[in-house]
Amino acid sequence: MARIVVITSGKGGVGKTTTSAAIATGLALQGRKTAVVDFDVGLRNLDLIMGCERRVVYDFVNVINGDANLRQALIKDKRTDNLFILPASQTRDKDALTTEGVERVLGELAKEFEFVICDSPAGIERGALMASYFADEAIVVTNPEVSSVRDSDRMLGILASKTKKAEQGGGAIPARLLLTRYSPARVEKGEMLSIEDVQDILSIEMLGVIPESQAVLNASNSGVPVVLDEDSDAGQAYLDAVARFLGEDRPHRFTTLEKKGFFGRLFGG
Amino acid sequence: MSPDAASARGAALRAIELKGRMMLVSILRLHTIDAAELDAALGARMAEAPELMRDMPVVVDLEGLGPMPVPDLLVALEHVRRHGFKLIGIHQGEIATEPLAEASGLPLLVLGGKSAAEAPARAKPAEAAPPEPLPAAAPVPAVHTPTRVVTQPVRSGQQIYARGGDLIVTGAVSAGAEVLADGHIHVYGTLRGRALAGVRGLVSAHIYCRRLDAELVSIGGHYRIAEDILDGERGENRLVTLSGETIHITEI
Repeated sequence: MARIVVITSGKGGVGKTTTSAAIATGLALQGRKTAVVDFDVGLRNLDLIMGCERRVVYDFVNVINGDANLRQALIKDKRTDNLFILPASQTRDKDALTTEGVERVLGELAKEFEFVICDSPAGIERGALMASYFADEAIVVTNPEVSSVRDSDRMLGILASKTKKAEQGGGAIPARLLLTRYSPARVEKGEMLSIEDVQDILSIEMLGVIPESQAVLNASNSGVPVVLDEDSDAGQAYLDAVARFLGEDRPHRFTTLEKKGFFGRLFGG
Repeated sequence: MSPDAASARGAALRAIELKGRMMLVSILRLHTIDAAELDAALGARMAEAPELMRDMPVVVDLEGLGPMPVPDLLVALEHVRRHGFKLIGIHQGEIATEPLAEASGLPLLVLGGKSAAEAPARAKPAEAAPPEPLPAAAPVPAVHTPTRVVTQPVRSGQQIYARGGDLIVTGAVSAGAEVLADGHIHVYGTLRGRALAGVRGLVSAHIYCRRLDAELVSIGGHYRIAEDILDGERGENRLVTLSGETIHITEI
């Protein structure tokens, strides 16, 4: 049985889709058979980030409505083995995500895959609720700024009460934090919340810290998940996060300024 | 009475226990029985704090109405019920309420003139109490409600209400979250959200927190918003109390 993992945040633009693409690709690179599902019906982006937008024939809503079967709608990734994408429909809205339909599709995926990554839309409405409803665990993506942290806090509350597991009395699903767009230099200047600030407010386990990086923007623009840019700091940070996700113990990197900067500050340079 | 008979009677009585206790009770005073006005007012009140008001036991006070036909009053009571309040009696005062009591099946209660919140111990025992010689007026504490303990962080958008007692939160209360209690509130993490103690009028309620950085603190209906909480009042180990109409924040 697959692990169904929702990538969510509450706030938009914090890096959910980038993270979904990176984690799914990272898992596939580790030889784990992975499907990544775009729940952002009407505002689909995952196919762009994954670079498969020109090969979309059928989508998630088609499968829910029975217009196509899962095999027809799943797009096999060209670069990475073991990786499949189920794109969202651009012409429909979130109401097309029926509870029964989503449950059936995720159930079918769970039979074939080891991991099913659900890329949640922003907000706390139907799309986001459906993305998390059947999840076994969650990765909450947060930027180190107050409004993003507040929205993630709200989302953690929802994960504790509005998933299938919670509604059946099973309590909150496990949730871990992925802090993206982190800039130690800006934290140093007091322009950004630090890792400690964010953990103090949200008090959940930190899966990874992804540094603010040009590599992420380049990856999005070229449709290549950032983990495939192995030399980049963000790519390495995502690979670390994937390793931690699979149970490996790895120290957090890219979270402090380099030594030179430290001495520079010390001596007023 | 023979010893046998006495012990048999004792055994029979052990099946139940009759006790007198003091308790706070909310009074719902009606100023009209106009259905539309009542519905609007009751609906608005319930919408303000549904978690707090739903199933709240209330004694209906009709003093403000003057003499009214019993059937009309019964309709008014039904409106109150339909909005989620639990009627537990009718306040007996100047106007004749016996026919309504009989028709509605609710007991008549004589209530102290003071607001119960100010003088809970002064409320007189109910006249309709059973005729047993009970220590009804003895100064026993209010009915004990177990303290509500929350071990999960209270997240933004969540609301937790400890009805009838105290609330303990072992973690943090996030900005945008709200914790309420009829009694005291203890927060063993950081209080960043709103905390309202003594929400049903207990002015002696306290708020304790390991670190205070609240959006709002309130005791017995008196409150201070974040803007009115000074930097010096924020910080570790704080106690929030009410004296008169002023909220005080001090270090423990």
